[in-house]
Amino acid sequence: MQPLGYSTGALALSDYRKALEMLGDQPVTAIELSAIRKGELIPLLRSLDDLDLSRFGYVSIHAPSEFSPEEEGWIFQELYENRHRGWPIIVHPDTLHDLSLWKRLGDLLCVENMDKRKPTGRTARELGLLFDALPGARFCFDLGHARQVDTSMVEAYRMLRDFAPRLQQVHVSEVNTQNKHDPLSFVSILDFQEVAQMIPPAVPVIIESIVSREQIGPEIERVQKALTTPHGGWR
Amino acid sequence: MVARMGNHSYPTLQLSQRIGRQWSNIEATRALSNQKLTELEEALLNLDSEDTSIVVLGSLGRREFTSDSDIDWNLLVDGIADPNHHASFLDIQKTVRRLAVKPPGREGTFGTFVSSHDLIHRIGGDEDTNANLTRRLLLLLESTPVGRPTAHERVIKNILKRYLFEDRSFWRGSGQGHHIPHFLLNDFARLWRTLAVDFAYKLRARSGEGWAIRNIKLRMYRKLLYVAGLLGCFFIQFGFEPDDRRAVLGDEFFRPQILEIVHGVFSKTPLDMVANFLLSRQRLDGTASRLFEAYDQFLGILLNSDLRNHLEKLSEGDGNDDSVYQEARKMSHRFRDALLDLFFDTKELAPLTRLYGIF
Repeated sequence: MQPLGYSTGALALSDYRKALEMLGDQPVTAIELSAIRKGELIPLLRSLDDLDLSRFGYVSIHAPSEFSPEEEGWIFQELYENRHRGWPIIVHPDTLHDLSLWKRLGDLLCVENMDKRKPTGRTARELGLLFDALPGARFCFDLGHARQVDTSMVEAYRMLRDFAPRLQQVHVSEVNTQNKHDPLSFVSILDFQEVAQMIPPAVPVIIESIVSREQIGPEIERVQKALTTPHGGWR
Repeated sequence: MVARMGNHSYPTLQLSQRIGRQWSNIEATRALSNQKLTELEEALLNLDSEDTSIVVLGSLGRREFTSDSDIDWNLLVDGIADPNHHASFLDIQKTVRRLAVKPPGREGTFGTFVSSHDLIHRIGGDEDTNANLTRRLLLLLESTPVGRPTAHERVIKNILKRYLFEDRSFWRGSGQGHHIPHFLLNDFARLWRTLAVDFAYKLRARSGEGWAIRNIKLRMYRKLLYVAGLLGCFFIQFGFEPDDRRAVLGDEFFRPQILEIVHGVFSKTPLDMVANFLLSRQRLDGTASRLFEAYDQFLGILLNSDLRNHLEKLSEGDGNDDSVYQEARKMSHRFRDALLDLFFDTKELAPLTRLYGIF
């Protein structure tokens, strides 16, 4: 069964404890701990030893999505000091100012493809340049971002083709015109199915759709449908 | 700067070098096109976005620009509707007018807003107007983005996605083992016949004004558009070994890859699409030479302001006795004959032409 779970930020913004509680009775085996706003990073990292994450076979941390060059040093250092946990650290490529710093994370560094408002990391070509500079980095494939950049899904196909050996995890949501992460619609499910076969069954899937407690289960079902291959059911 | 603006090497130039000919007018219009595209790109900086592309079509889109050419352009919108797009549109219009010697055509097909919705969803049926058909297929055949290419590329891929993904026989293959996108090919045929019928319409509507130049253009570059469309549609048939073709097209897994390949085919100029086909077929060098020499001569007429003006003013009644027009007509016959050789006299294309290009 493909590891599947939620981003804590999608469920409860900075309240990761509440997000974990909301997932209590859900069939999830993966979790992404979100510190998307830089103010969320220290409280999250300081509480990691107190969180019960034993039910999750896969854990990752989402680094802040915006910080200045002056703030980069301490943000990196805080994340670096947690490398012993072996959890992938998801970064937005446009936030990285000093690549030599982030290279030190080796294969724990996981670069995500971006939505179309960002200046880089939106296409396979732009990601290729980043991976040339960060040869050890892994890839967090955001299906919603890729679809927003190119609704024909050719760009999604190119990313999955070109960076398959680096694929660490997949983000799933429908990214709307305001760049917000919505639940999947009928159309986005059809689009995602076009490239679903290219996502290996062992790669963890993290849902980023912003949903209420009641919608957690139905959204899991929609995501499973979106990643269902034409030749079989949910992997 | 988008990649295909480069002037260093392109299939037509490679073909001319391989067969030892120089097509100086093709090269001259290519250089003029790149110069004008650079000029436009600098002048239109920051007027596009991720959701909009400024797209040039016509001679500039085909890289056949001359100092007397107009600039056909559209603002292609593929995203959120924003009232401020109009301000951007007016700025683009003002800038292009300043850089062009004359305004775009009178039909309103160019120099306007174009929504991706109409291009992608309205294929066929009553809502697919003459203007929509023309904009859609010229976007595939002769368009170039000035500035950010994202929306332009996205819309073209989505148009091709409709033509290819909704064409069952393309994926399944015909009884003869052909994988031809009929839906797309039929629309190229429709465009070619529409352009030909509109020639007669414009002749009547404009009381014969501009008859000679439009006649020669119809025989040359408009025919070339159809030729490029046909070759683009035949590409998949020649791009794979038969067993690989069946395996790849029979597996849904490869559909995005095929879409990417076909997008690449149509990202070339029409002349380069023809040259690309001929580059790998040395046995057709004689045909290639005649075809491109005739086209080079056509561009020579357009580059010569005196000849061009003469043809623009020539009335239909004077055509029979006019040496410039008669010479241009003979040139168009040489072009046609070379095309007939290409499409009917080769073992590769003749069967496809008979089966898909006629009935």
